[in-house]
Amino acid sequence: MEQADVAIVGAGPAGLAAAALLAGHGAEVVVIDERPRAGGQIYRQPPATFRGEGLPPGRSYAAGRELLAAAAGASGLRWKLGTLAWALFEPRDAGPTPGRGEATWVVALADEEAGIGRLAVRHVLVAAGAYDLPVAFPGWTLPGVMSAGGVQAFVKSEKLLPGGCFVLAGAHPLLLVVADQLLRAGAELAAVVFAQPRPRLRDGASVALGLRGRVAPVLGLAGPLARLRKHGVPLLSSHLIAAAEGASALEAVRIAPVDGAWRPTAGPERRFSCDTLAVGYGFVPSTELARQAGANHRWKPREGGWVTDHDDWMRSSLAGISVAGETAGIAGAEQAAEEGRLAAIGILRELGALDGEQAARAAAPVRRALARRRALSGLVARRFEPAYAALAALADEETVVCRCEEVTAGALRAALATHPHLGSADAVKLVTRAGMGPCQGRFCMLTVASLIAAASGRELAEVGPFHASAPVKPLPVSQLAAAWPGPDSL
Amino acid sequence: MKSSPASRRLPVHAVVRPEPVSIMVDGEALEAYPGESLATALLAGGRRAFRATRSGALRGPVCNMGVCFDCVVVVETLGEVRACMTAVRAGLSVHTGLGNDGAGHGAG
Repeated sequence: MEQADVAIVGAGPAGLAAAALLAGHGAEVVVIDERPRAGGQIYRQPPATFRGEGLPPGRSYAAGRELLAAAAGASGLRWKLGTLAWALFEPRDAGPTPGRGEATWVVALADEEAGIGRLAVRHVLVAAGAYDLPVAFPGWTLPGVMSAGGVQAFVKSEKLLPGGCFVLAGAHPLLLVVADQLLRAGAELAAVVFAQPRPRLRDGASVALGLRGRVAPVLGLAGPLARLRKHGVPLLSSHLIAAAEGASALEAVRIAPVDGAWRPTAGPERRFSCDTLAVGYGFVPSTELARQAGANHRWKPREGGWVTDHDDWMRSSLAGISVAGETAGIAGAEQAAEEGRLAAIGILRELGALDGEQAARAAAPVRRALARRRALSGLVARRFEPAYAALAALADEETVVCRCEEVTAGALRAALATHPHLGSADAVKLVTRAGMGPCQGRFCMLTVASLIAAASGRELAEVGPFHASAPVKPLPVSQLAAAWPGPDSL
Repeated sequence: MKSSPASRRLPVHAVVRPEPVSIMVDGEALEAYPGESLATALLAGGRRAFRATRSGALRGPVCNMGVCFDCVVVVETLGEVRACMTAVRAGLSVHTGLGNDGAGHGAG
């Protein structure tokens, strides 16, 4: 079995920063990412077949170019790109591990060409990033309704405008960045719609901008706002999506006024014709690998929902598993990189490459940088926290909540009324099939949990995330079968 | 389902695309660029829906990062794949189940 000191799952800012630091101390490191190129979503590079500049020029991507260059130049790093890490097993559950008494975890891998693989390591760093917060409103399953991050990835990485005329709706500052990138790419913007009242939106930006100039590369909102105004793009506040409309694909978006808590309020709806809707209410940490392994999770609504619990060395509740970046709570790329460095120093301490004193000394500047980042990300998190209950209330009876199994909000509410004892997301999954499809509940988990909370009067924290099982993403049975050594191995 | 010609590849200045190749989508030839995602190729080819659910509802790409599984298509030799996570290469044959070639999900 292949072996290494450390497996890093995720080649975004947290994973890249950790990889460079660990390799610099002589650790054997394997970096695993499902995408074919490093960078994660924030620094997602164009396809390798496209010649020229990897990341767009400009200040906001400078940090990404540095991280990529540092990791590319680090000796002793092994890359497994285009590779899915689909489970973390304890060595006794992963078959014989010859010569690896020290291994604490076996990472199960899958690759289109190499098939199923196993990697025995002494420590795992889960830096798996995040995905856009899914919001179930009427019509959200129509082709043409996309996540804001998905639209952005088409533009910045694939060099594709995924539509002609766009509405952007949400509550996260990213929306302005995406709007600006679409505008520069020549798209028509019918409207940009924020859920927050305008003063709070402005406060968020201006307070953030007041943080000694560090914010421009982090949020970079002033330029986009000015350009949207200059181009006459309608910028609305205090409105939520009411519905997406269309026959076989998106044709228009209706938006409706809401109050400060995002609850419906009196006032006319507005309708914008468009072929693409970019939805950006926030982000959800990718915690499935840490949940599958059995690490503790904690409900932190301002950080994206359930996040992997960690100590001040970024260690999870399980020995040999650390977390960094969005998996440990949504906080942005710059904080993710600092968390990656702190996690790496903690891992070197665990491996005995640094003693306690050396680790403390190495960590001191990282902790200072992290404290500054947390002051900013905490502020952003407070200003832009999604109102989960109000978003779940957008789903009417016919709205599909679980896109994979096509379970409607009506069916979920009926199941909750019939079985009032159902208090956990897992219990509702067993009764309704919501969360059982190929996305494994990623797209319905928060809506299902919010509907349970609304029906039962429980707090979201008590409802819990779905249980995550191996494989954390679907695998072809043929790949698993090809890797099975046969009945004699049992 | 070629309802919208609105999607379009951006002219790239700092980057140069490789020579295009031909892939088959529901039995029809489509020009695409090696390395770009199948999702990009299908959207640039004017498609909005990539598949239909069991109930017949049309779906297209949503997350574009391998999470939502709504852009799944059948590729001969690969089986069911996420279009956003699959790189275009010459000779790929793709079935959405929405074309007139009588093939689709489960047929691959």
